[in-house]
Amino acid sequence: MQKLRDKVRKLLADGKVAGYIGYKMVEAHPLPYFFTKDRLTEVDEAIVAPGDARYPLDKLLLQVAARYPKDAFAIQVRGCDERGLIELYKWGQLDPDQVVLVGVACPQEQADYCECPGPFPAVIDYGEKCQPVAQSKRVARVESLAGTDAFKEWLAHFGRCVKCYGCRDVCPMCFCKECSLEHPDLMSTGLVPPDTIFQLVRAIHMAGRCIDCGLCEETCPADIPLRVLYKKANALVKDLFDYETGSPTAVSPWKVLGEEATLETKPM
Amino acid sequence: MGDQMFEPKILGFFCNWCTYAGADLAGVSRLQYPPNIRVIRVMCSGSVSPHHVLRAFQKGADGVLIGGCHIGDCHYLRGNYMTIKRMRFLQDLLKFIGLEEGRLHLEWISAAEGPKLAQTVRDFTAKIQNLGPSPLKRTAQAA
Repeated sequence: MQKLRDKVRKLLADGKVAGYIGYKMVEAHPLPYFFTKDRLTEVDEAIVAPGDARYPLDKLLLQVAARYPKDAFAIQVRGCDERGLIELYKWGQLDPDQVVLVGVACPQEQADYCECPGPFPAVIDYGEKCQPVAQSKRVARVESLAGTDAFKEWLAHFGRCVKCYGCRDVCPMCFCKECSLEHPDLMSTGLVPPDTIFQLVRAIHMAGRCIDCGLCEETCPADIPLRVLYKKANALVKDLFDYETGSPTAVSPWKVLGEEATLETKPM
Repeated sequence: MGDQMFEPKILGFFCNWCTYAGADLAGVSRLQYPPNIRVIRVMCSGSVSPHHVLRAFQKGADGVLIGGCHIGDCHYLRGNYMTIKRMRFLQDLLKFIGLEEGRLHLEWISAAEGPKLAQTVRDFTAKIQNLGPSPLKRTAQAA
């Protein structure tokens, strides 16, 4: 923890960044906190949030960066947060030159719980690298079901939706000003549970964009296994287009038409 | 209902430059195909968003047929590159949630392929007739 605090303190004191988005204990709760140079002593209280207390720091950074577009900021990132930042750079939402990473490696239990493909960022200031989980057992289970059984299961899940939009609001990758989930031409309005396609529309938006942080699923009051759906969407993008979400170099298949069409139409 | 034949509702998104012209050709050639298909003419199959397909299923379509130019023949050069990416992804996603495969079909049909268009619509209609009403629709009506 000391190494992390020293790094943050130095960044702030040298004026490299205008602020640091991290965590602090507030009333015995680990909450996101914005540290600045003016209140440098507070950095002694900066913490790494325990595994089960995670917040969409990327999303907070988006808001801060939009308000202060000329300033650089440091941010505490796990593997997923870093993937999120990379995708946000790609989609033109943040400038990589204005973001300084303070990296945290997740413990193995967290990686196993998340079935995380990359549980540590490129820069590690706290924690040790652990083993990534390549294959999701949860996705494999649904894949093994017969079509009608899978459909029944998903329908039961979708039918519990109370349309709180929590999954969208917590999602660090949901940055659009207008949302198709609220567009009356694309989605019926005034229905609870919403249209069956509600979660599917979100799934198509998450394809090649979901960083698999899992906050949607943790937020969902109806316990809809959203993460399984989005993990599969990402796996499909990997299979079809060989695109790894959060890869620093690869270009999203949805951003370019490509030089040639590599896919064939399916036979009827 | 009893022995009454199930008449599926099929929505077609046909590209203005190829498939729609192919449908025109099928028409003037007096080729017969089932009237279950309702066609929406779009300027490019690449302008068909997965939103439109999902919305069609929600609104009661039993099948969705997308028709575009052959690869290399796109009026906008490479619009159909995006069509195939989107639709292949959506087909696989729908399979994952357990919707029968084949309710969403993509076919490249040029302006000269009137007979292919008629045959595709005949085959697709028969296929959807076999599958029966879309379960997505049933849910929508129950709600």
